[in-house]
Amino acid sequence: MKKKIIGALLSVVMIVGLVAGCSSSSSDSSSGSSAGSDALSKDNIKVGFVYIGDDSDQGYTSNFMDGTKEMKKALGLSDDQVIEKTNVGEDSSCETALRELAEGGCNIIFATSFGFEDYVMEVAGDYPDVQFCHATGYQSAASELANVHNYFSSIYEARYLTGIIAGMKTETNKIGYVAAMPYSEVISGYTAFYLGAKSVNPDVQMEVQYTNTWNDANLEAQLAQALVDDGCDVIGQHCDSAAAATTAEKAGVWQIGYNTNMIDKAPKASITSCRCDWGIYAEYAVQSLLDGKEIDKDWSQGLAENAVLVTDYNEDLMPEGAADAVEKAKQSIIDGDLHVFDTSTFTVDGKEMTTYKNDFGTEFIKDGYFHEQEIGYGGSSPAFPSDWIIDGITVKK
Amino acid sequence: MLNIILKLIVAAVIAGTPLLLGALGEILTEKSGNTNLGVEGMMYMGAVSGIAGAYFYEKAVGGNANGVVGALIALLISFLIGAFGALIYAFLTITLRANQNVTGLTLTIFGTGFGNFFGDYFGKKAGGSLVVGDAIKSAFQGVSIPVLSKIPVIGKLLFNYNWIVYFAILVAIAMAWFFNKSRVGLNLRAVGEDPGTADAAGINVTKYKYIATVVGGGICGIGGMYISMVSQGGVWVYDCVSGYGWLAVALVIFATWDSSRAILVALVFGALKIMRFYVELPIPSQFYDMAPYIVTILVLILTSMRESREHAQPKSCGTNYFREER
Repeated sequence: MKKKIIGALLSVVMIVGLVAGCSSSSSDSSSGSSAGSDALSKDNIKVGFVYIGDDSDQGYTSNFMDGTKEMKKALGLSDDQVIEKTNVGEDSSCETALRELAEGGCNIIFATSFGFEDYVMEVAGDYPDVQFCHATGYQSAASELANVHNYFSSIYEARYLTGIIAGMKTETNKIGYVAAMPYSEVISGYTAFYLGAKSVNPDVQMEVQYTNTWNDANLEAQLAQALVDDGCDVIGQHCDSAAAATTAEKAGVWQIGYNTNMIDKAPKASITSCRCDWGIYAEYAVQSLLDGKEIDKDWSQGLAENAVLVTDYNEDLMPEGAADAVEKAKQSIIDGDLHVFDTSTFTVDGKEMTTYKNDFGTEFIKDGYFHEQEIGYGGSSPAFPSDWIIDGITVKK
Repeated sequence: MLNIILKLIVAAVIAGTPLLLGALGEILTEKSGNTNLGVEGMMYMGAVSGIAGAYFYEKAVGGNANGVVGALIALLISFLIGAFGALIYAFLTITLRANQNVTGLTLTIFGTGFGNFFGDYFGKKAGGSLVVGDAIKSAFQGVSIPVLSKIPVIGKLLFNYNWIVYFAILVAIAMAWFFNKSRVGLNLRAVGEDPGTADAAGINVTKYKYIATVVGGGICGIGGMYISMVSQGGVWVYDCVSGYGWLAVALVIFATWDSSRAILVALVFGALKIMRFYVELPIPSQFYDMAPYIVTILVLILTSMRESREHAQPKSCGTNYFREER
C-alpha cells in the first residue's frame, strides 16, 4: 500500500513537471469576458497572437514578442487584452490555437509563421468579424476573404546593410551563410546580404548551405563550423537560434545575426544583426481596427519607416568606416537612389537579368531593378526567384 | 582532399560525443536488465542543470570564475540531475515494477519539459538568456595538448578536442573493462541476462539494478551537458537536445551493447549527421538523416540472424524482476 501511495505521488510529481514544462503554451489565458456588441475601444479590444516558438528562442519569436510588447505599450492595452499562444506547430495545432483565440473573443489575430497560412485561410472563413493578419505569407491578395491580411517588412534592405559590414570585415574574402530553407524569403535575404558585401568588396565570395529546418540549433552550429572549415571568416545567417554566433566565437571568426542582437551571447564574434520591428505593423493594424479603418490587404514597409533596422554595433569589432558606409547606403535606399536588386550589379550564369515574370504574368524588373516585396508587384511576400543563384554565391545542396 | 577528410572526421567526433555518452549510459542501464527509454529526457535534465550550475557558480564568485572549477561543477551537477531522472525511473520500475517502456517514455516527456522550463526560467531571471562567461566558455573549447597537437595530421586528428571527448572515450574503455574483466561487471551482466539465477547465486539484484540505472542516467546527463556547453557554446537554447537521446538509443543497438564498439559507432553516427555539409553527393539530404536508423534496423536483423548472445540485448531487458514469481 505504502509503495502504491509513493508511486502515485511520484506520478503526480512527473505530471506537475510536465504541466510546468508545457504551461508556456498559453501564457495569458483569456479572462473569459465576452467581446460584446459594444463599439470597439481600447478598453475592450482583444488581440491574439500565434507564435511558432516562444521568447526563449532568442531569435525569431522573441523578436516578434518584443514587437507585441511595443504595440501593447503604445496603445495602452492591458495584459488580459493580449492573448499569446506560444510553441504552436505548423500543423493542426495551429488551427486549434486560432479557433481558441477567435472563440475567446479576439477581434484581431496575428499568425507569425509562414506555415500557418493555410490554417489562417481556413479559420478566417468561419469568423468573418475577426481580422486575421498573417506574417510572411502571400495568399491574401488573391483571396476573396475580406478579413485576411498579409504583412512582411522588407528585411532584405537591412540585410544589404549588414552585408556591407561583412564585406569590409572579411579577410579571406569568403563569407559563409547558414540558411534555413530554400525558400524565396531566405534566398532574397542572402542575395541582398551578398550584394551589400560585394558593393564594398568586389572580390568577395559567399558560400550558402541549408539546414532544411527553421529551428535545429545543433544543426545550425554544425553547419556554421563546416563553413568555417571551408575558409569562411564572416558568418551570416537566416535561422532561428544564436548557434551560428556561438560557433563563430568558438572558431575565432565573426558573425552577423538576424532577429536579435546576439552580442551578449557571443561578444567576441557577433558584430551586429538585422531585424524586423514587428511592433510597427501590429500597432498599425490594431489602431486601424479601433478607428474603423480598413487594414491593408497586403502590407510591406522597410528602412524608411523603421520597419526593418540594423541593431546596435559591437564597436570593438566594427571595421573602420563601416558605420559611415552603412549610414550612407541606408540614406540612398531611403531616398530611392540605391536599389538593392539593381540588375546592373549582378549576373546569373554570367548574364545580366532583364526580365522575370511570376505565375500571374507580373513583370518584376522595371527601371533597372528587381521590385522585391513591393505592393503592386509580388506583394509583401518575398518573390526573388529561387532559381537565381547569382554569380559569386555558391550553394551546396 | 586530405584536408577535407580531416575536417570531416574532427567534426564527426565533435558531433558524435553526446551520442556516445547517451549510448554508454543506456548500455550500462540495459546491462542490468532495464530498458530506459528516457535517455532524451535525462539528457535534457543534464543539459539544463549543467549550464545552470556553471552559471550560478559564476554568479556566486562574481567576475573571477575559474574555468576548470566551472567545468567540474557542470560535470557534477549534470551527472547528479541525470542520475536523479534515472532514480525516478529506477524506483518506478525496480521497486514498484511499473512497465519499463511506459516509464521510460514518460521520463522523456518529463525531462524535456524539465529542461525547457528551467532553461527558460533561469534565462528570464538572468535577464534574457542563460549564458555563461568567457572563462567557462573557454574551458569547454578544444585543448591543444602540448607537443602532441603539433604533429602534422595526427595532432589535428587526435589531440585537439575539448576535454569531454577524451572523458567519454575513457568512460567507454573503462566500461568495457568493467563488463569483461571485473567481478562486479560480470555480476551485473548476470543480473541483466537472468536475474533469477543471479539472485540464487547470492547477487543483490535490486542493488545492482539501482546502481547501474542511476549511474547510467548520470552519464546520459553528462551527454546532455555536452550539448548545452559545447555544441551550443555555453548558451541555453530551447529544444537543444532535439532527438539526440533517441539517436543514442539507436546507437546502443548498432554498437551491439558493446561499449568500446560504441566509440566507433558514435563516430559513424556523428559523421552521418554532418557529412552533407562537407561532401556534396547527389543524394537528397533527408537520406543522411535517415541513414542512422536504416543502419540500426539492418544491425538488428543481422544480430538476430546470428543469434549471438554476446552481441544481443541482455535477455531480461523489459521485464521487471520479482523474486516471488520465479
